[in-house]
Formats: sequence, C-alpha cells, structure tokens
Amino acid sequence: MEKSIETVWKEGFLNSEALIAPKVNDIYNKKSMHIIEKFEKMFLINIWGIIIGASFLFIASYFAGAVLAGSIILIMMLYISYNAYHDLKALEKLDKGQSSYTFLKSFKDWISKSIEHYGKMYRLVYPILILTFYFGIWFSDVFDSIRKIVTENSNDLVFGLHIYTTIVIIIGAIMMSIFSKAIHSRDVKTIYGGIMNKLDLALAEMEELRD
Amino acid sequence: MSNDFYKSSILPYAAIIIKICRAYTDTQEDFEDYYQEVCLQIWKSRNNFRAQSEWSTWVYRLSLNVSMTLLKKQKNKQPLLASGYSPAEVPDETPAFLDESLAQLYAAIRQLSEVDRGVILLYLEEKSYQEIADIIGTNPNNIGVRIKRIKERLKKLLDGKIN
Repeated sequence: MEKSIETVWKEGFLNSEALIAPKVNDIYNKKSMHIIEKFEKMFLINIWGIIIGASFLFIASYFAGAVLAGSIILIMMLYISYNAYHDLKALEKLDKGQSSYTFLKSFKDWISKSIEHYGKMYRLVYPILILTFYFGIWFSDVFDSIRKIVTENSNDLVFGLHIYTTIVIIIGAIMMSIFSKAIHSRDVKTIYGGIMNKLDLALAEMEELRD
Repeated sequence: MSNDFYKSSILPYAAIIIKICRAYTDTQEDFEDYYQEVCLQIWKSRNNFRAQSEWSTWVYRLSLNVSMTLLKKQKNKQPLLASGYSPAEVPDETPAFLDESLAQLYAAIRQLSEVDRGVILLYLEEKSYQEIADIIGTNPNNIGVRIKRIKERLKKLLDGKIN
C-alpha cells in the first residue's frame, strides 16, 4: 500500500542519521577564496593594462619623434609589470590550507607590503616618468614649431628648455617623489577599494566570531 | 559565532535547518554550504529577533529566506544550466537517506517552485495554516488550497515510487 507523504516524512526522520548537522567551522572559506580570486583577476588585468598602455605610448612616441622617451617609459613600465607579476605569483602561493582568518590576514599583509614596496619604487618611477614625458614631448618632432616660437620669444632658456616651465615640472616631479607612497596608496584604493572594503568587513566579522 | 550560541540557540533547531536546506540543494556540498550560511545568518541577525514569535518560527523563516536567496543566486550564476534545467535529469548526489521513500519525497519536493517547497515543508512539520502564512508572508485563507495543489503535484511526481 502506498504511504502518504506525511507518513513518509515522519518515518523518514525517525532515523537520527537523516538529521546529522554538518560542521560549521569553515564558514568563511568560500568567501575568502572569492575575495582573493577577484583581486588576483583584477591585479592581472592591471598588469596587462600597464603593458598595453606602455606599448601604445611607445608607438605614439615613435610617430611623434620621441623614441628615446617612449623607450625609457616602455622599459620602466615593463619592469614594473615584471615586478607585479612576481608579486602576483607570491600571492598565488599563499597557503590556502590555513584557516580563513589567517588566510585573509596573510592577504592583507601582502597588500600592505605591496603598497610599501611600490611606494618606494614609485619614489623614483614617478619623477622619471614626469621628466621623461616633459623632455620627450619638448624635444619631439611634433613640438618643433612650438619650440621655435619659445626660443625666438624668450631669453629664459637653458639647454633649449624654458627655465620657469622646467622649474615647475622639476618641483612637480620632486613633490610626486615625496608623496609617492600616498599617491600609490590612493591609486590602490581607487582600483581595489571595493575588494579591500570587503576584506576589512570579512576580517572584522571574523574577529567578532573569534571572540 | 561562539560555541555557546551555536549549542544553545542553533543546534537544538538544527533539524529544522537541515530539513529546509535539503529541500533546496541537490548535492551534499551545496547542502553543507547552505547549512553553514543559515547558521551564520542566524548568528548575525540574532539581535533582530523580536519575542513576538517563537525562536523556532524565526529560525524557520530565516532558513527559508536564506535558502531561497542562495538558490536564486545559484541559478543566476548558472544561466546555461538554469535555462535548460530539469531537476529530473540532474543526478541526485545527495547522500542516500537510509529511508529510500524519504529520498524520493525530497527529490520530488526539489522539483517544486521555491515558495511551494517552503509551504510543503512547513505543512509536513505540522505548522498551522496561520503559522505557515506568517512565515511565508501570505494570507492563511490561500494556504489550504495551495497545500492541496502541492500534494497533488507531489503525488503525480512520486506516482507509486513510495510504498
């Protein structure tokens, strides 16, 4: 005789094995993996963005008659991308077997170290970029006519460069060098702010869970 | 989540959560994820509990809401699977219940809509129409008719599979 669904339900749960609760010790595993995977993906896109951007700039510099400046920028950007790629590999090597909390903490440490590392690197990179841009554009073929006009109309020149403009650019480069860490930190927040907020929230929640 | 909270406020109601999560998941892995998420949400929302209802009623409501939301998210993430989704064709990876008839009943329940799954689960848990209406957020007058229809559908789906 066919049983009613009510009977099946009651009898089925008489067996206690049907009601064994799973463990709840790794609640955040998936969430933490998701945060880091998303970050890795964005980081890789960022690296490719730098490489592609620098390549376009190099091509543009070739047509503008500023190949030397374009080459310096390309080499510098490739160096940064190479470093970033190595950092990404280090991030991928983070031990995924540790607890979610420790895993996310290691990730946060990685971000802090990375900001520190790039902050130092950009202390040189930012001023070199600005000065290369400035000298590159100034002495490029496309700027030839403007250069001639300035040379004919101004006595404030040194090595063919307009003194006051050059001083302003150099001051700008020095300022960029001084504030490189803060600028880079702001850049990181602009690009990865969403993920970093999620990371902070997850860590705060986990810290509360640990109490 | 403190161990004390889990032991005192969740574990005694684990049966409710398990029964609901099983109805919304096809695999053991998903079931465990849903169970953990429900526990976490209970813990996170514990301060929202108002003593106007029983703690168990609140657990039912929260478990259903979380399970339905997770199922929706899962469907959105798998548009290809969802578009041609036919539960009957998907192998049931749920670890076999010792009771074969219960396994069959669950397989049939999983073919119902998200809301109908909730309604029938509450009915099988012997909740009154008023309680079911309160938990689902509907009119109690419609519950009886709805349950009758769901039972007919289940009967068709099971069609002699349980005995």
